[in-house]
Amino acid sequence: MGTLRMDRRLFLQAAGVTAGVAATTQVGCLKYFRKGRTVSNDDRQVPTTCELCPNKCSAIAVVEGGIVRKLNPNPENPKSRDMLCARGNAAIKQVYDPDRIKHPMIRVGARGEGKWKKATWDEAFDFAAQKLAAVKAKYGPEASLWSSTEGFQEVFFKNLGLAFGSPNLVRHPTLCLASVNLAYSATFGTVPSFDLLNSKYVIMSGANRFESIITPDTMDLIGGVMERKAKLVYLDPRFTVTAAKADEWYPIKPGTDLAFILAMLHVIIKENRHSHEFVAASTIGFDLLTEHVKQYTPEWAEQETEIPAKDIIRIAREFSDAAPRAVYYAGRRSSWYQNDFQMRRAQAILNAIVGNWDQQGGMVPNAKLPKGEFLFMPWDEPKAARVDEIEKHFPLAAKGDGVYLKLRENVLSGKPYPVKAWMVYKQDPMNAMPDQAKTLKMIEGMDFIGVIDVQMSDMAWYADVVFPESAYLERTDPVEVMAGIWPAVVYRQQVVKPIHDTKPNLEIVQGLAKRLGLSDYFDYTIEQWVEAEFKELPIPMAMEHMKKHGVWAASGQPSYGKTLNPDHRFVTKTGKIELFSERLKEAGYDPLPVYEAPTQPPGDRFRLILGRVGYFTHANQSNNVWLNEFMKENDLWINPKPAERLGIRHGSYVAVTSSVGTVRIKVRVTEEIRPDCVFMLHGFGKKAKMQSLVYNVGASDAALLETAWDKVSGNAAFHETFVKVANA
Amino acid sequence: MAMKKKRYALVVDSRKCINCKACAVACKAENEVPVGRFRNWINEARQGEYPKLRIDFEPEQCHHCEHPSCARVCPTGATWVRKDGIVLVDYDDCIGCRYCMVACPYEARYFHEESGTVHKCTLCSHRIDGGELPACVATCPSKVRVFGDLEDSSSRIHELLATRRYRLKEPQTGNGPQLYYLL
Repeated sequence: MGTLRMDRRLFLQAAGVTAGVAATTQVGCLKYFRKGRTVSNDDRQVPTTCELCPNKCSAIAVVEGGIVRKLNPNPENPKSRDMLCARGNAAIKQVYDPDRIKHPMIRVGARGEGKWKKATWDEAFDFAAQKLAAVKAKYGPEASLWSSTEGFQEVFFKNLGLAFGSPNLVRHPTLCLASVNLAYSATFGTVPSFDLLNSKYVIMSGANRFESIITPDTMDLIGGVMERKAKLVYLDPRFTVTAAKADEWYPIKPGTDLAFILAMLHVIIKENRHSHEFVAASTIGFDLLTEHVKQYTPEWAEQETEIPAKDIIRIAREFSDAAPRAVYYAGRRSSWYQNDFQMRRAQAILNAIVGNWDQQGGMVPNAKLPKGEFLFMPWDEPKAARVDEIEKHFPLAAKGDGVYLKLRENVLSGKPYPVKAWMVYKQDPMNAMPDQAKTLKMIEGMDFIGVIDVQMSDMAWYADVVFPESAYLERTDPVEVMAGIWPAVVYRQQVVKPIHDTKPNLEIVQGLAKRLGLSDYFDYTIEQWVEAEFKELPIPMAMEHMKKHGVWAASGQPSYGKTLNPDHRFVTKTGKIELFSERLKEAGYDPLPVYEAPTQPPGDRFRLILGRVGYFTHANQSNNVWLNEFMKENDLWINPKPAERLGIRHGSYVAVTSSVGTVRIKVRVTEEIRPDCVFMLHGFGKKAKMQSLVYNVGASDAALLETAWDKVSGNAAFHETFVKVANA
Repeated sequence: MAMKKKRYALVVDSRKCINCKACAVACKAENEVPVGRFRNWINEARQGEYPKLRIDFEPEQCHHCEHPSCARVCPTGATWVRKDGIVLVDYDDCIGCRYCMVACPYEARYFHEESGTVHKCTLCSHRIDGGELPACVATCPSKVRVFGDLEDSSSRIHELLATRRYRLKEPQTGNGPQLYYLL
């Protein structure tokens, strides 16, 4: 080795390479790795829990010289299956992002103008508390709105809203999966998991599981499909990665999935392929269902869905043959249509009649684990009714989550009462809600807007005060129990100290509470809170274990069939699985899913459809420098046939117009979409200049989407917008 | 004690790849790869006409060739082959002439502006030496890459190559690539 090196040096001299060049080559690797960074001897490995999406994967942070250098997957978490996706890996850049909010900010210009003054925490707290108190004094506590998505520290934010006296907490589900949750609850009394690891036959409607990563489903499905253990039938107007991996892909006519499912029910019942034993023992309403689906023949469904009747019949037979290891997968997926709840209900019913309930490879009710609770001082229940009038319009919907779009309508109309202050935690209603212009109107009507976030979301950009939250790698959070087929407990502990003047949400909440006279309700530290939770975990030496491992998995194999004993009462009105739902009937809804054909776009228009890629979460992370590399700008997918008709060329820019807005966006002419649809990805066309990579780059779908919701759950219906496309 | 000869390689089951980019970002973090550069990447092949369509993904990186042309053309011997088959660049000896970038049939190398040297996949030799898997292998949701020692007849990659059909890219170069793509 030594002589070889000598030879190289000799070569360099002989080749006349100058000493100067030789010197620059001496720059050691470590030296440039460390450049511009704090050099210390702080080298550690810290297990923690990822927060870049809601999956809560376990990660091990590698700290070198006081810097988070790498995040590795933690194999102990049974749900994250020993992986960390692109987003999880890129969480480092959430911490070391030059665009981060580095200190509290108070608006000095007009809303959205981007003129800020740097504030101290005291100034920011005083300012916000005074504004909130003024709204409370003038309009009452119910005039404040508290919106959030999820997260381990969300509980503190919600508690502040409640302690403040507002009934108006509004959360993400009605912009997300409320229709799925409600449909499965209405049928089974609970929302089950799907045992894709052991399924033999999986049907998916648009749940693009290989690009919208859900643990462990994504990994389990890829294993099953690729190792030929499972067959995947996939319905989607777009040729997604999931479509590419599926055994069969059907570019179904948008909005007709319910017809497909009803026809499957028709075939299975007509051919007597359902599970007689299970239907008799555990369900109610089968006779009514039998009568009801007689009208929905495969031939009829072919007309609706454009899926050949012979394929529907074959799929129905294959599905029932594979049962109970067969699932019509619900998964997570936003709602699409105003009849979305009924489509999800039909899936639940189909799953039920083939008897795949609580079976290996079927649907499995979630196993839960106990966790301790910190006992804090309780407050009086808010007195006013919710501003979204959820009880009147959506009697079955989850009260604690609210109904987002109806809420916005009511706030805009000022009825039943005015709402004048808007507090937001870790959510971007500007991009999450359809019809951005309407959201801007709602913003205009507010006396005060305060936003707590790690990054400058578009919502934060329009706020009066922005409270910078510490990134997850800088925080210790409450303990999270993950119910599921493989239940686990995860813990997020601080990996590095905050690098900017940021605080964890609890401390932000406490700062506000103190000035609002609500300190007594928040008189604890995160350590006390976590300690109380640790106490009742079924883990020996819980605190030591969680600090060392970051995760605890209930050992052993999943237990199937606990709810199959004849005495089991489902949490439904009848105690049975409700194929026919008396409760729905009483509430004024169809007790069995009734098909309504969706409106189709007129000749010159396209249906705008939405979806995801695996390296962004919703509208987040397009500004993360390591993820932005994979997509710097979003584009509009359009099929070559209509593109040719309209004279639209690949790579050119077009104007896309709906009834509520117009955007300019680059075109991707692609075979991978139906000719009657166009698609664009979420998370671009940002208004916040502090998202420098995506500020004014591409377009936001929120600017185009119209206000529409599912009738039962109130879930935003995201596929009900028709757009015009023209060269720009 | 006589050390048994090792020959590290990767077997890639491309069909399992969902193009999620986890490997690319894990590599970026692990090896401090500059923005705009990659030591591994995913090739996409899209074909067909609606609705008869197909997409194939193919993760790629340095093939850690047996007879690497990058090493042959290196004027300073900076690119060298470790005893276990990993092709590495000695940054102290690299003069940044970039002949190797031209010589590589896979375009697996890039010029690192800050250090003035050429970089590429090291198979995370530093992780391997510490008993860990390469970052791209460990982080992958669908475990597309299988890492192992070809000389070890009990290894998973040995078994895969013995029982499955596979292909190599550009074998005609005589480089002897060691990135095995399962068919």
